[in-house]
Amino acid sequence: MHKSIYVSIILVAVSLGLMMAFQYRTSSSVEQGVPYGREQELTVEKLQLEKDLAHLREESSDLSAKLEEVGKGHSAAVDAFESELSKIKHYAGLVPVVGPGVEVILENLPDEKQDSYPERNSIKDDDLLRVINELRGAGAEAMAINNQRILATSEIRLAGKHIVVNMVNISAPYQIIAIGNATTLKSSLEIKGGLAEYLNDRGIVINVNIKEEILVPAYTGGLRFDYATTT
Amino acid sequence: MWLGLWLAVLGLGVGIIVGLNIPLVLPHAYAKYLSVAALAALDSVLGGIRAAMEDHFDNEIFISGFFSNALLAAGLAFVGERLGIDLYLAAVVAFGVRIFNNIAIIRRHLLKK
Repeated sequence: MHKSIYVSIILVAVSLGLMMAFQYRTSSSVEQGVPYGREQELTVEKLQLEKDLAHLREESSDLSAKLEEVGKGHSAAVDAFESELSKIKHYAGLVPVVGPGVEVILENLPDEKQDSYPERNSIKDDDLLRVINELRGAGAEAMAINNQRILATSEIRLAGKHIVVNMVNISAPYQIIAIGNATTLKSSLEIKGGLAEYLNDRGIVINVNIKEEILVPAYTGGLRFDYATTT
Repeated sequence: MWLGLWLAVLGLGVGIIVGLNIPLVLPHAYAKYLSVAALAALDSVLGGIRAAMEDHFDNEIFISGFFSNALLAAGLAFVGERLGIDLYLAAVVAFGVRIFNNIAIIRRHLLKK
């Protein structure tokens, strides 16, 4: 009876001592470390943040891919616009062009050969218009009279002793340059019964020279549309 | 009687020394349960001392009370944790009150001697 009491007392005392020692160590280590609840909280937060991070990374890569695509599309559009613009400028005569073609020089006859009708052998705006028209008909792609580029809106008209092209006075000798198929252009003027013959009859010297490469300058005046608007 | 007391002190010392020196750290998650269990064990021991002073100490009741109280308190804390109720507080309060009671009775017995 007494023996079992002592055994149980020892057992109880040892387990109590163990428990208290353990508890002491645990609580002192708890004080040093992070409280359990806080740790769990932080772990949950970290997991959440990691999830968020992965999500955001995915989103970021997705968006940058989209951005890249958009940039590509943008630059393609800009390129298209630029090529369209240069094409239109080219077409409108706002850029200088170079190519094979002809040079037509119109001159009045020297004074001693002129007869008594001065207006008969002076070059009129009509004559230049005819030449331009003939060259156009023969497929001239770019033309200029005395370095005045002929545009869709260019006028050629007589004003006193001068001829006005693009609001600029020009006078004889008139040099008309045209880019196109040189032989076609030349023959269109020099065809029998054609314009060259007609001008010669009127006392105008016309020379058509084929050129390997001629430069037709750009239109240098202003472009104004005061009345015409796009629909 | 005195032999029992010495044995108890010796056992306590051995337990504390062993507990302080074995390289085993209880996870923080279980610290709460162990604290409640230790409290219950302390209460049981004080109850045993009181019973011994009142001369109706029963070894079986003492030893079964010691372990069942400790386990029950820890289990209660565990269940409370799972249910989201701080049941260990109930254990702390109940055992704390009993510890004070027991100490008071022991004190009276000691003074009356």
